[in-house]
Amino acid sequence: MTVELLTKPSRVPQWLRILWANKKSRVGVVLLSVFVLTAVFAPVLAPYDPESTDFAAALPASGDHWLGTTQQGQDVFSQLIHGARTSLLVGLVAGVFSTIIALLIGMTAGYLRGWVDEFLSGLTNLALVIPVLPLMITLAAYAPVRGVWLIIFVISVTGWAYGAKIKRAQIITLRTRDYVTAAKLAGDGPMRIVFREIMPNMTSLVVVGFMGAATAAIGAEAGLEFLGLGDPTTISWGTMLYWADNGGALLTGQWPWLIAPGLALTMLVTAMTLINFGVDALSNPALREE
Amino acid sequence: MSLLEVADLSVAYATKNSPPTHAVRNVSFSMAEGECVGLLGESGCGKSTLGTALLRLLDRPARITGGTIRFDGTDITALDENALRPLRWRALSTVFQSSMNSLNPVLTVEAQFRDMFRTHTDMTSGEIRRRTAELLEMVLIDPSYMRFHPHELSGGMKQRVALALALALRPKLVVLDEPTTGLDVVVQKSIMDSVRTLQREQGFAVLLISHDLGTVMEIADRVMVMYAGSVVESRPAGEMLHPYSRGLLGSYADPRAETVDVTYIPGRPPDLSRFQDGCLFVDRCPVALPKCATEKPPLAPVGDGLVACHVAPSTKADFADSTFVRSVRAVAEAPPVLEVTGVHKTYTRRRTSVTAVDDVSFALRRGRVTALVGQSGSGKSTIAKLLTGIERPDTGTVMFGDVPVHRLRGRAMRRYRKDVQLVFQDPFAALNPVRTVRQTLVRPLRNHLGLSEKDARARLESLVDTVGLAPAFLDRYPHQLSGGQRQRVVVARALAPEPSILIADEPISMLDVSIRAEIVELLDRLVHHRDLAMLYITHDLLSARLLADEVLVLNKGTVVEDGPTIEVIRNAQAPYTKLLLDALPNPPR
Amino acid sequence: MRYFLRRTAFFVITLWAAVTLNFVIPRLQPGDPAEAIVGQLTGQGPVDPDQIRAVRLMLGVPDTSLLSQYWDYLGSLVRGDFGISYTYFPYPVTHMISEALPWTLVLVGVTQVLGFLIGTVLGAFAAWRRNSRFDSFVTLGSQFVGSLPFFWIALLLLYLLAFLAGWFPDSGGHAVDVTPSWSWAFAGDAIYHGILPALSILVTAPAGWIIGMRNNMVQSLGEDYTRLARAKGLSVRRVALAYGARVAILPNVTGFALALGGILGGTVLVETIFDYPGLGRLLMEAVGARDYPLMQALFLFITIGVLLANLLADFLLGVLDPRVRKEAA
Repeated sequence: MTVELLTKPSRVPQWLRILWANKKSRVGVVLLSVFVLTAVFAPVLAPYDPESTDFAAALPASGDHWLGTTQQGQDVFSQLIHGARTSLLVGLVAGVFSTIIALLIGMTAGYLRGWVDEFLSGLTNLALVIPVLPLMITLAAYAPVRGVWLIIFVISVTGWAYGAKIKRAQIITLRTRDYVTAAKLAGDGPMRIVFREIMPNMTSLVVVGFMGAATAAIGAEAGLEFLGLGDPTTISWGTMLYWADNGGALLTGQWPWLIAPGLALTMLVTAMTLINFGVDALSNPALREE
Repeated sequence: MSLLEVADLSVAYATKNSPPTHAVRNVSFSMAEGECVGLLGESGCGKSTLGTALLRLLDRPARITGGTIRFDGTDITALDENALRPLRWRALSTVFQSSMNSLNPVLTVEAQFRDMFRTHTDMTSGEIRRRTAELLEMVLIDPSYMRFHPHELSGGMKQRVALALALALRPKLVVLDEPTTGLDVVVQKSIMDSVRTLQREQGFAVLLISHDLGTVMEIADRVMVMYAGSVVESRPAGEMLHPYSRGLLGSYADPRAETVDVTYIPGRPPDLSRFQDGCLFVDRCPVALPKCATEKPPLAPVGDGLVACHVAPSTKADFADSTFVRSVRAVAEAPPVLEVTGVHKTYTRRRTSVTAVDDVSFALRRGRVTALVGQSGSGKSTIAKLLTGIERPDTGTVMFGDVPVHRLRGRAMRRYRKDVQLVFQDPFAALNPVRTVRQTLVRPLRNHLGLSEKDARARLESLVDTVGLAPAFLDRYPHQLSGGQRQRVVVARALAPEPSILIADEPISMLDVSIRAEIVELLDRLVHHRDLAMLYITHDLLSARLLADEVLVLNKGTVVEDGPTIEVIRNAQAPYTKLLLDALPNPPR
Repeated sequence: MRYFLRRTAFFVITLWAAVTLNFVIPRLQPGDPAEAIVGQLTGQGPVDPDQIRAVRLMLGVPDTSLLSQYWDYLGSLVRGDFGISYTYFPYPVTHMISEALPWTLVLVGVTQVLGFLIGTVLGAFAAWRRNSRFDSFVTLGSQFVGSLPFFWIALLLLYLLAFLAGWFPDSGGHAVDVTPSWSWAFAGDAIYHGILPALSILVTAPAGWIIGMRNNMVQSLGEDYTRLARAKGLSVRRVALAYGARVAILPNVTGFALALGGILGGTVLVETIFDYPGLGRLLMEAVGARDYPLMQALFLFITIGVLLANLLADFLLGVLDPRVRKEAA
């Protein structure tokens, strides 16, 4: 009987099972896994050292260099594979940081209410309307150091607002639920209530929030690198596009150099979007397919 | 010729991932012009699906899988939308459940009349406005409200507007789907009175879909009872023959009687995704015969109506084993455990302030139940919050022995809550969906009784036993329990810290009628076995009569009448109490 | 009325916060910010004394207290004095901005409105024909297209349509031999130059609206008032527009303004790629040349623009949705 099956809690976390159940997000999970494996085994998979400038410059695609070489004589394909590392690193770290900020601000505002909420909500709304990329550009322009960690920092401090707003709204509806009042009457303290009674009901939301933040971070990182606001010597899809644009890939007809990083970026972002779609569908029954 | 003829109609909900639910199963009935038919059943019995199917408004995944609907001589079962449109509203209109939003939130009331008139008539704007004003007046609403948006109207007014809208084109049949659910009884009563009066004047037929047996019995010329997707009985309002109908009817009683007895139907309805041989009610039936399990009883004429039962023609079922009886009894004096004196509570929100509780005083005593009776907004839930320390009174005192509850904080408040526990209204919201019954029940034992995890777990079996649940339920999640079972868990959680006071906030109002008496019985037993003081909060005088020794009638934050329950109910003095009593449905038995 | 006052109050507060943020960012660095910036400048080669003077002017006299610097800063904002750009010496910053503003305003305005309209209409159709082939195609398609990084699309368009096909110019806002004026010739030339940048934005812009509108409308079509509208026998058109779409569009109106911040960010990229003479390219030039006064003023202008758009959208929502007017009252 189904009832008996359900009583046995599975080892697989619920949100992962949810993702696997949806066709779209299953494709996303598989696609994302491919990227993660590529990033982890990049040194093994890449045919050459991505920074080595030993090759002739601006070679077209060939058997030796699947995607040709850059203006400096680096192998584009090897760069592409190593670039996955930067994107995933930024996505993961900036995603985690902005999710943590969003959780702290959203949960505090939603659970405490009162003037704390007024203040934090004001802050969130403010952060929401300020145009992020110009702010990122300005912040990055002033920073004394350049590089991936600066970009991660800038993305984290500018990208939390949307998540915070959603988490606040969710906790406000959850905190007035009868079972929260019941936990109070059962003698549980506020920390236990927030983390044991309320949080488990928000896992899907936190996962969605993280995925959204990570997706945005990956896009923003590429954009900032493309504008030359990162460290142009790091290997990433953004810097590849930066060099391709500046190195005249267009004029020399080296289209793989231009196409490949953008396509990789698109695939990665699509994978994340597909995963998110599955989670969304679960938290909002109206979106479920028949 | 009948106005509506339904033959062998079946509706199923078919989704990709789960087996189809056969919500309506081979239903046949007919309605004459001007007839008022009540369609009675509990949640999930398929009555709303049936109503929606008749209106041809079913949306995927619901689908008519068989049978025909003939309306006014036309087969509308498979008519396409263009052919249906002339029939819609002109001949066949509807009022949806009041708790839903059946009025467009961004259009004014007038606009929602206007688009309908524009579609079906050639009336000019002036005529439309005049007619809308007339219609609103007909349902006792001032015509100036036509410029308002729905959110500016009260629930009762919205429902009156919906009724006026339904009658605008003088249809032949109006389907009323739970038209007053969620409204105060006084408002319910006045809306149903309007329906009845207008129906007599204008002669339209009414199909009243409701779970509220009292209302249906009082209004309908004929009652159809639905159970598990099938019509099990159809006859003029009065004595019913089917065991299920009798069980439902038994859950009603007149609270004014010397001895009040109500029945409940043990068990729960069958799984509608499966077909089973025989009678679908067999598992819950007290008089089932062996052949009931194998042979499906047809809907056949018995007496002045139809009934689908092998037993009904010969035996009248009764639920003697599941009856709760309450007669007048003497109450022993006991010293008060909790004394509420002159409490006030005013809520201020953005400059407007609302007085929720105004100078209320009462005492709770061991072994006694005090009922707080009032409509929504009367302040009764605020009083529950003041007593549990969730809110503080602006003035006045709440004394637990010599402990001033209105001043408690932190640890002292936690210690006090060991003694005062709450039973919630909505059993679906009161249990955390991600925690098992065991995880939920362990917390109060550990926190309030200071038991170790091991000792607490050892106690759980006897705890769930006191509320009539088997130990196997401990490992279930809330969604695997029925409403009644959940409410038992909620009661068990409240009992866990061995409190001296139990506050029950509308504990049965969200439950199906057929199982309400079961929970009433449980609460009554607990009060007496454990010598608890109980505050029973309700809008319903019948359950107050069943459970309470004394009653306070609350209106707009003030106590308008109080005293021993039987006296207040039988000899009401305050006009408001009389109004509540008048609003009680009075089904013929 | 209270709703509109509240929204205006929020606008004023956010405006103040943005202005203050603009004051704070350059001063976040440890030590004397002016020294730090000058130090960075000198580290990169010879520095124009004008540049140092401009930085000094922007940051105020370092010896005075932060509060009086802030006061001076607010004062100069009120006077409309944003300092002198040293890359375009002796032009004041405001002059540079007023040159670039119309280009961005038109580009963003047109693409944003078009994207919104296209997306909302497509989303509404998808919801109306829910689970049809059109619906799956549009929703899946917009999810894919919506996830494309749009500076990459811009690069592809530039490569394919400008370099390879040669249909469109590869850079600039107008041809070198056409001087800006109120003439048809100039307008035609500007549109010709604007098509590729606009197209780069328009490829992805509708995606978000499609998904938002579809999901909202699937919801509003399932509501009781829509079912009742069908029961009333209203025409399909009326049910779809006045009941389904009318309610579903409201969250998109709020989203319209919020998305503007993102779109503006995107135009920075697009303008840079197409060398389009708008605010975004100016910002990147300012960043590249470390023209801090210009950068500061641009950030402030862009932010104020987005805030104003938000205020407008809030007002529009107040007009369209009777419920929000009530909430604030």
